[in-house]
Amino acid sequence: MKRFAHPLTRPWLAYLVAGLLATAVYFVLPWNTLGQGFVYDGIGVSAAVAVVAGTLLHRPALRVPWYLFAGGLLAFAVGDTIFNLYDKIWHRQPPVPSAADVFYLAGYPFLAAGLALLIRRFEARRRVAGLIDAAIFSVAFALAQWVFLIDDLVRGSGSAAAKGVALSYPAMDVVLLAALATFFLSPAWRTVAYRYLAASIVLLLIADEVYGTAPESYADTTWLDTGWLLSYVLWGVAALHPSMRSLSEPRSTARQPRLHAVRVLFLGAALLTASTVLLIQRTRGERIDAVPIAIAAALLSALVLERLARLVRGLDRLRREEREARAEAEFARRLLAEQNERLREADRLKDEFVALISHDLRTPLTSIMGYLELTMDDETLGEESRSYLDVVQRNSDRLLRLVNDLLFVARLEAGELDLRRTEVDLGAVVRQSVEEARPRAAAKGIELGCEAQSVPELRADRGRMFQLLDNLISNAIKFTPEGGRVDVRLLQRGPNVRIEVVDTGIGISPEEQGRLFERFFRATTATERHIPGTGLGLYIACAIAEAHGGGIDVESEPGRGTTFCVELPPIRAAQSSEPELVR
Amino acid sequence: MTEERPVVVVADDDEDILLLVGATLTGGGYAVEVARDGRAALELVRERAPAAAVLDIAMPELDGLDVLRQVRSDPATANLPIVLLSARAQEHDVARGYELGASKYIRKPFSPRELVTVIDELVGR
Repeated sequence: MKRFAHPLTRPWLAYLVAGLLATAVYFVLPWNTLGQGFVYDGIGVSAAVAVVAGTLLHRPALRVPWYLFAGGLLAFAVGDTIFNLYDKIWHRQPPVPSAADVFYLAGYPFLAAGLALLIRRFEARRRVAGLIDAAIFSVAFALAQWVFLIDDLVRGSGSAAAKGVALSYPAMDVVLLAALATFFLSPAWRTVAYRYLAASIVLLLIADEVYGTAPESYADTTWLDTGWLLSYVLWGVAALHPSMRSLSEPRSTARQPRLHAVRVLFLGAALLTASTVLLIQRTRGERIDAVPIAIAAALLSALVLERLARLVRGLDRLRREEREARAEAEFARRLLAEQNERLREADRLKDEFVALISHDLRTPLTSIMGYLELTMDDETLGEESRSYLDVVQRNSDRLLRLVNDLLFVARLEAGELDLRRTEVDLGAVVRQSVEEARPRAAAKGIELGCEAQSVPELRADRGRMFQLLDNLISNAIKFTPEGGRVDVRLLQRGPNVRIEVVDTGIGISPEEQGRLFERFFRATTATERHIPGTGLGLYIACAIAEAHGGGIDVESEPGRGTTFCVELPPIRAAQSSEPELVR
Repeated sequence: MTEERPVVVVADDDEDILLLVGATLTGGGYAVEVARDGRAALELVRERAPAAAVLDIAMPELDGLDVLRQVRSDPATANLPIVLLSARAQEHDVARGYELGASKYIRKPFSPRELVTVIDELVGR
C-alpha cells in the first residue's frame, strides 16, 4: 500500500511548493510595487532561514558550509531589501557603490567558501583531477567574462569606484563558477541535495550573466527575476532535503574520476574558448584582446599538460603496481612449488617408511609362521604341544593381519588404493569367506549361517571383497559371546547387491555407532571387555565399500546384536578392467 | 640318489629363511643350492643349470629383480622357472615382479606347503 506523502511531512517538499507559489505570486502582483518587493525580499530571507533550519534538522557532520550558505543568501536578501528601499520607499536610484553592493559582493565569497569546504571533504586524488578540470572551465569562463563584460566596463565611462563595483559582479561569477565546476566534477552528484544546489547556482549564474550583458535597473521587475528567485528557493530546498547529510560526509573512493563523453565534450568546448573568442572579435571587427586571450590560452595549455602528466603518471603507477603484483605472484608461485616439492618428498619418505616397516615386520614373521607350519606338519607332535603351537599360529595370524592393515591404511591415506576389478561371483566369495571363518566360529561355539542368493556378477576387486567380508565376519565372531549366532546374507536390493552380516553379539551404543567407521575407533563395549583389536577393521571395510562406489551401514542394539549392511552398486563391464587408483 | 633330484637354487640374505626354504624344498624332494646374495645366485644358476630358482628381492650385491632380469636376458637360462619370494607385499611390487618375467610371486610370510606345490607345478612334477 502506497503511503500518501503529505508535503508537510517532508519539509523540503513543503518549502519547494511554497517557494514556487510565492514566485508565481510575485509575477501575479502588480509589477514594480511595494508588495512585489516584499515578496522578493521575503523569498530571499526565507532561503537563508531554510538553510539554517535544514542544517539544524538534519545535523550534517560538517555544518560550517551550510551556515556560510545561509550567510551568503542572507547577504543577498539584505542587498535586495536595500535596493527596494531606494526604489520603492525613497524613490531614488541607489548611489554607486551603495550599501546594497557591499552586501551583494559579500554574499558570493560566502557561497564560494561553503562550496569549497564541501569539496574539501572528497578524496584527495579525485579532488586534484576534478580541480584541474574545474580550473579549465573557470579559465575559459573568465576569458569570456573578461572579453565580453569586464573589458567593456573597464574601458567604459564612470568613476573608478563605479567601475570597480561593476566589474566585481562578473569577477564574483567567475569565483562561483569555479566552485560550481569543481563541485560538478565531484562524486557527489548522486545525492538529490547536490542536484538542487547545482540547479540553484546555475540559475543564479545565468541570471547574473544575462543581466551583466544587458544591465537595466536592477530594482525593476523583469522575467529575469525568475532565475534569482528560483535560485533562492532551490538553495533552501537543497538544505532541507535529507540527502544533504550525505553531501557533507567525507567520501573516499579508490576510483579515478571517469572521463565521460559529456565531460570530455565540456572540456573540449572550454579549450576552444580562446580560438572562439578570437574569431568572434575578428568577425565583429572589434579590437582583439590579445593579452587576455594569450594568457588564457597559455593557462589552458598548462592545465591540460598537467592533467595529461597526471594521467600518464597514474598509468605509470598502475604499470609499476602491476609489475610488482606480478613479481609477488611469481614469488608466491615459486614458494608454492617448493612447498609442493617438499610435500612430495615427505610423502615419498612416508611411503618408503611404510614399505620398510612392512618389509621388516614380514621377514621375522616369515620365519615364525614358516617353521610353525613345518613343525605342525609333524604327526608325532603331542596334543599339548599342538595346542600351544595353535596359540602361536593364531597370534602370528593376528600380527600378520595387523601388518597388512597398517600397510593398507598407509596406501589408503596416500590415496593409492589399487583396485583390480574383474568379474566377481560375489556368491562364491561370500560362501568361501564363511567357510574359512567356520573353524573360528566353531571354536567359540557360534553357529555361522550363510544364505547367498544368486546375484549378477559384479566388477570388483576379488581380493578386497574377501578382505571386506573377512573383516565383517571376523568382527561378528569376535563380538558375539559363546553360543551366539552369526548370519551372512547376500541378496539383490533393487539395482544394488547387498551383503548383510548379522550377529547376536554385545552390540554398540547409538552414540558410538556414528564413529564406528573412523580410523582407530574402538567401541567402549569392546574396550570394557578387553576384546583385542586395532580399530582398523571397519575403517578398512568402509574404505573398500566406498572405493567400489558403495557404502556400509550399521544397525545395533546393545546386548541384542548388530547388523552390518554393505550396498554395492552394479558396475557395468564397459568400465575399465585396468587397475585404477582410487583417491 | 641325490643326483636324480631336481636342483632348485634358493637365494635369501636371511639365514633363517634360507634354512626354512631349504628344509621345505628338501622335504619336497628337491636338491637345494643356497646363495646369500644375488651375485652368488646368478653364478649358481649359470653353473648348475637348476630346474627352478627361488629368489628373495632385497639382497646385497645384486637384488632379486636384477638377477631375474639377467637370467631372462641370457638365452641359456631365459626359460628357467623363477619364484620371487619377497616381503615386499604391495601390489606394485608384485606387478613389477611379473613385468620382469617372474613365473610366480609369493609374498612373505608364505606357507611352505604352498611353495612346494608351486615349484612342483613349475618344474612339471
